[in-house]
Amino acid sequence: MSDEIKVDVKMDLKGLACPLPVVKVSQQVKKMKVGEVLEAETTDPGAHADFPAWAKSSGNEIVKTVKEEKSAKFYIKKLK
Amino acid sequence: MEKEKLRELKKLIASRLTRPMRYYLDTCTRCGLCYDSCHAYYGIPKKEYSPVGRAEVVRRAVKKHFRPSGRLFPYWGDATALDERVMDEMKEAAFSCTGCRRCMMYCPFGIDMPYILGIAKVLLIGYGNAPEELVMLADAAVEKGRSIDEFKEGFRSVIGDMELEVQKRLGLPSADDLIPMEKKNADVLFVGLSGAHSIIHPAVIFNAAKENWTLSFFEAVNFGMFAGDPEKMQFIADRVVNEAKALGVKEVVIVECGTAYRIPKFLLGPLPFKVTSIAEKIHQYLAEGRIRVKEGAIAEPLTYHDPCQLGRNAGVFEEPREILGRLAADYREMSPTREYNWCCGGGGGLVALDNEEFRIKTGKAKKDQIDATGAKIVVSACENCILQLNTIKDGYGLDVEVKSLSELVAENLVV
Amino acid sequence: MWNDIYYFIMVPMVYIAFATFALGILFKFAVVAFSPGIKGKLGAYPRRLPRPLGVAKDAFAVPVAFRKSKVFWFFIVAYHISFALLVIGHLELIDEFAALQIIPHQVFLGAGWVGIVLMVSTLYFLFRRFRYPYNGISIPEDYLILILLFFSLFFGSHMNLASRHLDFMFDVSKMREYLQSLIALRPVLPEDIVSSYHNIMLALHVLFANLFLMLFPFGKMVHSVFAFCTLNLKRK
Repeated sequence: MSDEIKVDVKMDLKGLACPLPVVKVSQQVKKMKVGEVLEAETTDPGAHADFPAWAKSSGNEIVKTVKEEKSAKFYIKKLK
Repeated sequence: MEKEKLRELKKLIASRLTRPMRYYLDTCTRCGLCYDSCHAYYGIPKKEYSPVGRAEVVRRAVKKHFRPSGRLFPYWGDATALDERVMDEMKEAAFSCTGCRRCMMYCPFGIDMPYILGIAKVLLIGYGNAPEELVMLADAAVEKGRSIDEFKEGFRSVIGDMELEVQKRLGLPSADDLIPMEKKNADVLFVGLSGAHSIIHPAVIFNAAKENWTLSFFEAVNFGMFAGDPEKMQFIADRVVNEAKALGVKEVVIVECGTAYRIPKFLLGPLPFKVTSIAEKIHQYLAEGRIRVKEGAIAEPLTYHDPCQLGRNAGVFEEPREILGRLAADYREMSPTREYNWCCGGGGGLVALDNEEFRIKTGKAKKDQIDATGAKIVVSACENCILQLNTIKDGYGLDVEVKSLSELVAENLVV
Repeated sequence: MWNDIYYFIMVPMVYIAFATFALGILFKFAVVAFSPGIKGKLGAYPRRLPRPLGVAKDAFAVPVAFRKSKVFWFFIVAYHISFALLVIGHLELIDEFAALQIIPHQVFLGAGWVGIVLMVSTLYFLFRRFRYPYNGISIPEDYLILILLFFSLFFGSHMNLASRHLDFMFDVSKMREYLQSLIALRPVLPEDIVSSYHNIMLALHVLFANLFLMLFPFGKMVHSVFAFCTLNLKRK
């Protein structure tokens, strides 16, 4: 459940074209403190593979993914 | 610069000194015919953005470190040792270049200037000075290739939504299998991008044409290429090559993304399958009568922007024009066009960088061209171009609509 | 001392120049031959002609320059045609080639015009480099090559014209004696050459030509060969 996660920053990435969602998320995470959580909402189907791959390669964690009707919310925890 | 670092960078230069690179480095006479052929120079007329100006940054360093003449007589060849300032110049040269190769059309020797900038790009990676967005995107793409099995389920979970959309568009009774995945021995493996539109429009067209196709797990775009990292470029491209081989497909169709098409088509060497762009595929379906479009359905004046990687760098000029010729009642050609068409300024991964102001300025050539046609709809067949055309549109307040070719076809299919 | 310098320019330096030229070109080719090829293709489109024809058209007709600047194109073409005639002229200075005398002519084709066209073109290329924006992209080598070439042309052309229109008897047979002795590695400087009115002019001509030859393999002059390679890549 999303209410279990304390969200520090929210980002609306709906409708952004490739590859901007990942770029924006990466830039945002860089600004945050370790342990903080970012909620990123996107309409990109590719994000379901791209976000986890980015998280893995950059050493961050996707703690939860919530699929909504037209979009999806990714909860990304900054680990380093 | 520290000796150790310099040695490392020299090794990187050496790794890129291929036979074509030698030709390209040696042949330039600095005649200056290319000088104003770059869209970036058109928007910001300074020497650093002229093709020869960019290439000289690399050429000077190669002379200094790799040529006896550059070592013995540096003055005459303007040979310059690598240092921090030179690395900054390299960055400005390499990442203001979209790799469109328009300058190649204006070079009496046909020198591939962006290929020369390949040296600058590997040096910047080695120096830790490459744009971090591109390096990050390339790393993510590599990771996706390494651990694709972990990510398959997530991707699959959203395919259903897209299938419903395709079903609605085509008015079909069932949404089942409208976007097949991992289909062995399919005729066509389609490689899309992350955005839904890049999959839905082609899916509508493939289904209308009753194609035996399957969707790739990977995105077509290659950030390894944009970042200038040859190994990552190869790895990212191999993801799709291996997928296509494993599935045993006959043909790989690439979404509207210029670089993604040029890499498998020309840069990887021989492959056991055919590589086609979606524009060519749509053209083929129309020619074979497998799909039909509403002839002359678009009344507003429409123009086509040749994506550099699809046009002058891959030779796909006629197909998009013939498709648009059917759809548009008032088709207008840009001037100059085809191989001389101005680059929009978005290629080479530049649209992924934080540089909107620069891209608006360097998009001026494109803006002027669009203005001159009086078109209300600008069509292109490359995601990069479409993103950049929208940046130009917003930046200059142009009263136009930017559309992708497959979107236009999908919207005007006779079903 | 002047005699020693004169001899040095006319004999040892010519050997040095040709050796540097030949070894330099060999070195250049070896470097290219041992560089790795690439698996992909770097070509561009459209290609309306078959590759060899297209390369020949791009190389000899220089359509790229024609589209951009008719004046520059004119000088490029005039210069390169004249240069080819000049090479033929110098071959005839070594020996008589029946094949080259199909159209009978006094040695040095072009009745003296070749040198003049070359000088004017060279000056055009040189002065073009002083102007914006080409001054910004020109490097010392670009000027140096043109200056050496100009001086060599200036003195060579003068001798050619003088032998045609003035009293100065430019004795082709003496030149052949000299050049053939160089080739035979038994160098002789005929007295007629040393004591001719134009001996200094000849030495200066040879001096600048020597310098030009020595620079040839190490700079952009290799475009004379590599242009065909790059143009081939463009259509591959």
